[in-house]
Amino acid sequence: MKIWTSEHTFNHPWETVVQAAWRKYPNPINTAVIGTDVVEREVINGVLHSHRLVSSQWYFPSWVQKIIGTPKVCHASERSTVDTNERQMTLKTTNVTFGSFLSVDEVLQYAPHPTDPSKTLLRQQATVSVEGVPLSRYMEEALTNNISFNASRGRLGLEWVINKINTEVKEIATTADDLLMQTKKSIDGITDTARKSMDELSASKQKIHF
Amino acid sequence: MNSIGENCNELKSKYDQCFNTWFSEKFLKGDKDDTPCKSLFQTYQKCVQEALTLHQIDIKDLKTNHIDGTEFEKKSAYSDSKNKNDNGTSEKES
Repeated sequence: MKIWTSEHTFNHPWETVVQAAWRKYPNPINTAVIGTDVVEREVINGVLHSHRLVSSQWYFPSWVQKIIGTPKVCHASERSTVDTNERQMTLKTTNVTFGSFLSVDEVLQYAPHPTDPSKTLLRQQATVSVEGVPLSRYMEEALTNNISFNASRGRLGLEWVINKINTEVKEIATTADDLLMQTKKSIDGITDTARKSMDELSASKQKIHF
Repeated sequence: MNSIGENCNELKSKYDQCFNTWFSEKFLKGDKDDTPCKSLFQTYQKCVQEALTLHQIDIKDLKTNHIDGTEFEKKSAYSDSKNKNDNGTSEKES
């Protein structure tokens, strides 16, 4: 069994990062994940529990493929919780495909950074275990390297999604600003028209006086 | 993001859109009532469960993960930087 751990700090608040985490795929950097499906989802005691099926394309080295075969798509089961009181999102993923001899378990945890709560700390851990096939130790090594590589792409992918969300928020703000400007303009227009009518009215009033 | 059932993509996209808005605008702001997207979820579920059967994926009976989420607290990975390389990652064999 091999254990791999990693930490990464996102310079964004927890609320932004967890929104992006749900919208992580598709992203142009980490293209391995080709599908996600929610199979169960419920709020229990204020905590959001979700169960998703994550389908991805795995690119195994050819010698690994010779031993375990090559499925087109690998499936994994992801169970997660989002707790807004604790400000924690935890995702636990385990492989479904090749489950009889291979076990890849991954845990991701997003929480506010302990020394700077305006940032988010991602802690990630994966255990890889291959049993009952030739070269299992080498295979564990190769898979762990794969996970490490994919994790860095995953973080970049998430940053990409965060930027996208921030741009959307800005766009909404700009649209709101535009709307406000337009409203202001039309109100100004109405005021102008009203003023003109008032002027005209007083002009005609004056005329009457004359 | 696509669904495992090609015919579920549209239902999934409608549900996802509802969920993302609900998550940002309601759940994160303290409103935990999850009824707003329930009917879209149920329609999408009907489709996806059929697709799972078709692909012979039995996800309900899956084992739960070996790693417990509290593992992080026990190890307090943040304060323990001794075994790390420059990327903030570490590997060990057992």
